[in-house]
Amino acid sequence: MTAAGDLPERVLVVRCPGRPAVGREPGAAGGEAAPGSGEVWDTGPGAPEFGQVVSVVEGFCPRVEVLHPGACAIGARGPARYFGGEGALAAKIIEAVAGGGFACQVGIADGLFAAFLAAEHAQRPRDTRRAQPGAVMRVPPGRTRAFLAPLPVSVLDSPDLTDLLPRLGIRTLGEFASLPAAEVANRFGTPGVVAHRLARGLGRRPLAPRPPSADLSVGQEFDPPVRLAEPVVFAAKALAERMHNGLAASGLACVRVQVQVVWGNGQEITRLWRHDGLLSALAVAERVRWQLASCQASQAPPTADGNQTAVRIPVPIGTGERTTDDYPGGITMLRLIPDQLVRDHGRQLGLWGDAVVSDRVARAAVRVQAMLGHGAVTRPVPAGGRSPAEQVTLVPFGDTNDRVPSPGGAGNPGRTGGAAGQGRTGGPGDPDRAARPWPGRIPAPFPASVYPAPLPAKIADESGVTVAVSGRGLVSAPPARMSADGAPWLAVTAWTGPWPVTERWWHPRTACRRARFQLVTEDGAAWLVAVQDGGWLIEARYD
Amino acid sequence: MASLTSLLPRRHDEDVVPDGARLPVLPALRGLLPGGLQCGTVVAVGHWGLLCLAVAAGASAAGAWCAAVGLPQLGVAAAAGAGLDPGRLLLIPDPGPGWPQVVASLIDGCELVLLRPPGRPSAQVRTRLAATLRRRGGVLVVAGGWDGAQARLLVVRQEWAGIGTGHGRLRARRVQVAADGRGAAARLRTRWLWLPGPDGSVGAVDQITASGQDMRDTG
Repeated sequence: MTAAGDLPERVLVVRCPGRPAVGREPGAAGGEAAPGSGEVWDTGPGAPEFGQVVSVVEGFCPRVEVLHPGACAIGARGPARYFGGEGALAAKIIEAVAGGGFACQVGIADGLFAAFLAAEHAQRPRDTRRAQPGAVMRVPPGRTRAFLAPLPVSVLDSPDLTDLLPRLGIRTLGEFASLPAAEVANRFGTPGVVAHRLARGLGRRPLAPRPPSADLSVGQEFDPPVRLAEPVVFAAKALAERMHNGLAASGLACVRVQVQVVWGNGQEITRLWRHDGLLSALAVAERVRWQLASCQASQAPPTADGNQTAVRIPVPIGTGERTTDDYPGGITMLRLIPDQLVRDHGRQLGLWGDAVVSDRVARAAVRVQAMLGHGAVTRPVPAGGRSPAEQVTLVPFGDTNDRVPSPGGAGNPGRTGGAAGQGRTGGPGDPDRAARPWPGRIPAPFPASVYPAPLPAKIADESGVTVAVSGRGLVSAPPARMSADGAPWLAVTAWTGPWPVTERWWHPRTACRRARFQLVTEDGAAWLVAVQDGGWLIEARYD
Repeated sequence: MASLTSLLPRRHDEDVVPDGARLPVLPALRGLLPGGLQCGTVVAVGHWGLLCLAVAAGASAAGAWCAAVGLPQLGVAAAAGAGLDPGRLLLIPDPGPGWPQVVASLIDGCELVLLRPPGRPSAQVRTRLAATLRRRGGVLVVAGGWDGAQARLLVVRQEWAGIGTGHGRLRARRVQVAADGRGAAARLRTRWLWLPGPDGSVGAVDQITASGQDMRDTG
């Protein structure tokens, strides 16, 4: 109890338990409480709304501790001196918060505990019918113990004590505070000591304000809006250099970088790119270029309200000629936001990591990506599944397999249609999926050709009737002839099946109920075919 | 320091790869491609199939990077079974009309490029790619015809084992592969292979057992 004699610092608590004062209910315009309802404030604002209050308070003092949604605290000493006294500071805060549409109560006292209670008591003007935009309760320095003395012990945030103390005949904080500190420590232990300190108007602990977080994102606005991709990519390189410098100054690296592009018509395209602290400024700029190109590919038809008079200037992006003019208004802002900040430990390569991409291969792959788009160069990653097509997921070169682009997702490069095909039904690229048992999977040897989209086929029996499989897995007749994708009929020399499978029946879009066959045709080719909904599909070819 | 570096042999992009540098092939294919794949040349395999993957597998298993262009249907599981390392595999399923440029860029980075050209390549394209190959020392394995290929391989006969009429399953395939080429490799050679074997790998078939089988000619 070395600090027993020290008074805690002055603390100002802003409590915002009410809904926005304006628009609460139609009859209450102007802050008038509805007649008969004694309570003006009922439920507290949600966390997002309270964020606005916090940002208003941050305008008075940047170091704000949020106690819980609905209450925040600042150290009152400095701001009070600047704004000309604690009363003036409280009035200014109430005015500013009311400007944002919220009503609040302000309590000022020695220590957080007393200030919070003061704020709570400031909201009880039950005798007045007027709903004030705010109320203040100021406890003068050194008078905190006297302020707390008449309050019941139930205000202590300790269920054990608030239950026990009244049964011992101690009903107010004043009675509790008058007990000797040593006896309280003997009888009630550490929680008792803390409560005793609070009851005497001392601090439980000093404030722990959060420092304002540094903004490491970088952005540039374009005025007038830019209609060409090149200037944006050029600006991206400078921005990326600035972002890297900012990160390096903080000793941080980002796992991913978010690229945000805003068009003049308010449209905004945001995409996350893998970074891992490895990308150069040029590589980041290259990703911005891909993002612009992919947005264009996915948005080829201009919107109806597009300005028809605009001159379409061709821009070379990669090999093709494209324009950014498909977006009315051009590009107005580019922003790079580092995502998932981690301490920059440098990077340690595996000693014999065979999968480590050599610079030479990476250069070649990036050059092809510059020609065709980010998703055009892929690496296979094992994924779990029963059919051959599901056993591999294709991941764009430069990405790691924990972020597999969702098929058809927003911001997906337009060219990944064929690339993502094999992994389309594979789900997330979870490396564990491949190791799990997949009962009923097609056994080895595996087919050399796995068609990303199954080819249509016709399979008929001796009499030329299409072979069917019943719901119980019975074949109508042995398959005798097969025609693959419109090719001439070939005799079937060997076959086996059916191997029925019902997958994901609970999911309407990816549900799959088919019966698979292996066939050998007279030309020696071996096929994996399946019948689904009465139609035949070629899934793979073995030779 | 400057005088020292000037004495060192300088490497130009135009440097031609020393004649005789070769990429290894699987042991089962050594009879067909004696000495392996000669760097800077084209190997043409008649049709796209497991044989293309088998030709590339030896080099990949020995540490080479491999790129597959124009093959959206490449079965990665079968490639891994044949011995190709999927960790050193780049897939460019849809190279588009500018595929010769894509292939040239990949030859710069990868030792081996698997290609299925979208159409019959013109003589000009072939000459340009051949020059790039000679300069960088890569090997281009083409699924389809390619005039001027150093070696050509073709599946002549094949028979599947393990599958009956309504029972069994595909377990292995015995194939007869014919190879010819230019220069020292001009003589026609044929070998019987398990392609794939029961475990998906590629192996040589014992000559005596193979000749005793009734194999159908598949042309």
